[in-house]
Amino acid sequence: MAEFSAEIYQNEFLPDGGTDVHAIMSITCSGAGAAGEAEGDEAAEIVIVDTSGSMAGDKIVAAQRAAAVAVDQIRDGTWFAIIAGTDGADRAFPYPNAVAPMVRMEPGARAAARQAVSRLVAGGGTAIGSWLRLATQLFSTVPQATQRHAILLTDGKNQSETDEALQAGIRQAKGVFQCDCRGVGADWDVGELRGVAQALLGTVDLIPDPAAMERAFADLMQQAMGRGVAQAQLRVWAPQGAQVLFVRQVSPQVEDLTPRRSDLNALTSAFPTGAWGDETRDYHVAVRLAAKPIGAEQLAARVMLAVRDEVVAQGLVKALWSSDDTLTTRINPAVAHYTGQAELADAIQEGLAAKAAGDEATATTKLGRAVQLAEATGNEEATSRLRKVVDIDDAGTGTVRLKRGVDKLDEMALDTSSTKTTRVKK
Amino acid sequence: MSDPQAPPVEAAAAPATDAGPPGGSGPSSEASPPPHAAPPDDGAPPAAPPAVACPSCGTPTGSGERFCENCGVELTGAAPVAEEPDDPDAAPIELTRRRPPPGPPRAPGVVVDSPDLDLRPTTCGSCSGTIADDGYCTQCGTPAARPRDHFREEPADWVAAVCDKGIRHARNEDAVALAARPEPGSFAVLVVCDGVSSAPASDVASLAAARAARDVLAAPATSPPLTPEELLARSADAANAAATQVASTVQGPNPPSCTFVAALVDRDPDGAGVGTTAVVAWIGDSRAYWFPDAGPPVQLSTDDSWAAEAMAHGLSRAEAEKLPQAHAITRWLGADSPPGPPRTVVVDVSADGWLLVCSDGLWNYCSAPEDLGVLLATTAARVGPSPAPLAEALTAWANEQGGQDNISVALARCGGRPPG
Repeated sequence: MAEFSAEIYQNEFLPDGGTDVHAIMSITCSGAGAAGEAEGDEAAEIVIVDTSGSMAGDKIVAAQRAAAVAVDQIRDGTWFAIIAGTDGADRAFPYPNAVAPMVRMEPGARAAARQAVSRLVAGGGTAIGSWLRLATQLFSTVPQATQRHAILLTDGKNQSETDEALQAGIRQAKGVFQCDCRGVGADWDVGELRGVAQALLGTVDLIPDPAAMERAFADLMQQAMGRGVAQAQLRVWAPQGAQVLFVRQVSPQVEDLTPRRSDLNALTSAFPTGAWGDETRDYHVAVRLAAKPIGAEQLAARVMLAVRDEVVAQGLVKALWSSDDTLTTRINPAVAHYTGQAELADAIQEGLAAKAAGDEATATTKLGRAVQLAEATGNEEATSRLRKVVDIDDAGTGTVRLKRGVDKLDEMALDTSSTKTTRVKK
Repeated sequence: MSDPQAPPVEAAAAPATDAGPPGGSGPSSEASPPPHAAPPDDGAPPAAPPAVACPSCGTPTGSGERFCENCGVELTGAAPVAEEPDDPDAAPIELTRRRPPPGPPRAPGVVVDSPDLDLRPTTCGSCSGTIADDGYCTQCGTPAARPRDHFREEPADWVAAVCDKGIRHARNEDAVALAARPEPGSFAVLVVCDGVSSAPASDVASLAAARAARDVLAAPATSPPLTPEELLARSADAANAAATQVASTVQGPNPPSCTFVAALVDRDPDGAGVGTTAVVAWIGDSRAYWFPDAGPPVQLSTDDSWAAEAMAHGLSRAEAEKLPQAHAITRWLGADSPPGPPRTVVVDVSADGWLLVCSDGLWNYCSAPEDLGVLLATTAARVGPSPAPLAEALTAWANEQGGQDNISVALARCGGRPPG
């Protein structure tokens, strides 16, 4: 049985006239079990492989091997299918002439799927929106599957359809399944794929070399199979008259949850968080209250996690107005850390965007700030990725120089990993 | 958010009033007692009511008595004494029904009006929304009012106290406990204890201490009777024991501690016809003052504090109270308290006037008796001569000055005539 626990980190003391309350809520799930294991739950998986012309050669061979490995990881009983994506989308397994659009995994199906995968050929364009549409359609044939997830691999830009078509495909898929996206090589667009991942509650990452594909797919599918809680919903209650400034996931990735917001009632908003395995996720909530007199206390927010409409974890974010400077001027270390990490992610993305646009001055400033933040928050991974793109003169002041002749892959690696955060050092 | 774990008090619902058996003009609040034993159902004539042991003091009382001869508690549902039945063939003694254990015994006619501070409202005081299980309103987020943050005791119309959290502190570590007989100037107990905020659970300790002391002072007279000073020393012991017991439930280097001040007002205590006296005992820097309508105001207690020691060494009050360690107390109640009985002082309160017992949450803003006397008089002129609104008004005044500490104000209107 999955168990959830929650902790709040905040400074609840506001000065006279203070209005903004920040808190980090850390939620840990344990005992989640495997996907589809819990009573009433069934899982469904789709592997979407780019089989466009550019995949010919090493890449398609590696993709075949990676898809096979992914199929191996899928637990018996899980509904699954494989999609070959080009400027349209074809169902590679179950075979196009099969009666059932998706089948449950079992040894026979696994063997047949591996066969199908070995026959994937490269040729055609790239229209990710159509791949998403087909996946949405397939998932809709298994309404009993409470947990729906896909892995999507591409190697290039979405050239074969308009951006509207891509966005339409994303919109259809939203709320239907979660999708983890991977781009292999240097020819795909990080922003494009990030848009898919963000909307579909998934992650985006770079696979620099085809040889790394198998490992990436195995890890992704294993992780998906380890998520025994099909859906959890983050809920934020704020009192009458208060304004929720933002709700962000801050660990393991920075993700602004505002685009996912729906309203449960006048005071409570809800944010889907997808499936959970045994893991910890941290959220940053900021609420603006009307200032109250010194000595007053108010609950700024109730932050809850709900599974199947039942609240399984709750944290209280408090506000206490005080005239004691030693209390009101403190910043909670967790809040400070994650505020810095969020700023780091923004600085990296903005710096890279400026560089791509030819604005070297802005790029230098932003990436310099990123170096400074990475150093201050102890994010060594970010620092080492930044070093591939800039020469660091002084990390403390953020003085950097843009490198010449940066490997595109290094830039993309920095971009895709920009949202990865480190946890607060205790 | 935590509630002080108050020791069980006789009130189960707030506010409760209990009284000892009628003496003078005291009301009786108990229903008529049930039969002490069920009649035997074998058709034999009913046996005589058995002798019973008093549930309070254990003294066996002759059969048919309604009140204990020793301590005066009303005998209801008391346990029968195991005795040889006179008639070996008589039916065995049975209890009819269980009653909840009675509260601490009170001297005849003494009234106690202690609110249940553990009660939590379910409706928000700010917006009338519902209070959730987490203690906050589901609409506006205001925390449920904690009774301890502001409470009152009013055992008679001439004695009242208000106890308030103040503004700056997050919890109320002050406590008051009162008792009185209804007739003005006849008998009153006023106890104030101020918890030391650097020690955890001092709020639990101060409430337990104040109520324990009050219970000793409001108890029936012992045999042979004690002098007021001895009684006050005993009440301080009981308060100290209660505070020390709280220490056994908490961790930390500083055990829970509090101050103590108690005033015992009694008309004609020894039957010697000397008029009404007040005997005041104290440990720490909570104070008692006497403000006669006609006559100079007096601070009755002398703080056990650094500032008071400085004044004893010649500094003026103003200089002494500005010293950085001015408020460090040299005596207190609690697990590591310095031993010894409280200091006491006796004052004649037969004349018309106000007896004030208070914590430093009030006197820090108005320390000299002359200034406090003026404040009292002008406030009474504004809100009237009754102690309860006067105590509320003085508390509000202290909050207007900043409310830097918890505030306790206990007042007894002495003499025969109301002020003005």
